[in-house]
Amino acid sequence: MGFEAHEEEQCRLLRKALKSADITPADLWLAYFSIGGAVGEYEVDAYLQGLFSLPMLQRDLLACAANELIEAVPPLPRAPYAEELEDSHDAGGTGTKNSKRNT
Amino acid sequence: MSKQLPLDELSSVIARVKGLLLTEEKVDRAVQLLAAAAKQAIPGTLGAGISLLDTQGRRTSSAATDKIVERADTAQYELGQGPCLTAWASEATILVEDVQTETRWPEWCAAMKDLPIRSVLSTPLTAGKESLGALKIYAAQPGIYDGETSRLLQLFAGPAATLLANVQSSETPRRISNSLETALYSRDTVARATGILMERHGLSSDDAMQELLSRVRTDRTTLLEECSRIIAAIPGRRG
Repeated sequence: MGFEAHEEEQCRLLRKALKSADITPADLWLAYFSIGGAVGEYEVDAYLQGLFSLPMLQRDLLACAANELIEAVPPLPRAPYAEELEDSHDAGGTGTKNSKRNT
Repeated sequence: MSKQLPLDELSSVIARVKGLLLTEEKVDRAVQLLAAAAKQAIPGTLGAGISLLDTQGRRTSSAATDKIVERADTAQYELGQGPCLTAWASEATILVEDVQTETRWPEWCAAMKDLPIRSVLSTPLTAGKESLGALKIYAAQPGIYDGETSRLLQLFAGPAATLLANVQSSETPRRISNSLETALYSRDTVARATGILMERHGLSSDDAMQELLSRVRTDRTTLLEECSRIIAAIPGRRG
């Protein structure tokens, strides 16, 4: 079975994305199936290992599923600047447990 | 490429769900049967009980063959001490030769004063790495149990724990069928939106899908949102 142009690169970068977001092939398959993916988990697994070729649409659906899973992960918490903390204290009256909340 | 749906996985998911659908009632029944069998199996035993504990040591399910066992057991969880809790926490079999001379759990032993309980043997129920709870037997005379009985009870506890570990996971099927339902609903929505685009623009099914994917990329939405929007835009009800 031949591989289309860029197929191997697309596969490699998908694998990399999955790895850094800690997404298992099983999770990817369920998300892919949910958006209309047409091939089975076994084939998807083989594709991820570079052993099986998939048509462009299926590859793009896998990419779409992976991206949606990646975006669903909450972003890492950010460190606040002093000014931001002052603002939120003024507005919410944090630390006085609702008793003195500004209205 | 074959046009068949990847239903192999789905059917195995459904089979798993069916096999796992065990109710709370079945857990209680299994625990009861095991307690009764333990009582029968060990000579000189007055009563037997099983407690299943969660990771914090709270009782989630229990069974006892007698009222006496039930009281002895309840006292342990109320006082937060006793041979079964120690067996569960230390994952070791605990042998009490005589409750009246025992010093490890003073409050619990004091509470046992009025009950005809002298010998206690308690063994943890462990399946894999998980400590599920404890199995215990009580006798009215001191010195009834020894190393030999300990070994017998441990032999009994092995398969009992394996059984309970499988019966216990009543949360699992609910989670599986929820994700299956969500997956099917989403897939259905995508299929409908694809059909709408096929009819509207005279596209093949694959081209309609590609069209959806490129809209998702430009609009920065999810495929499901895009499809729901397309379906919602169809004037459904007239009047």
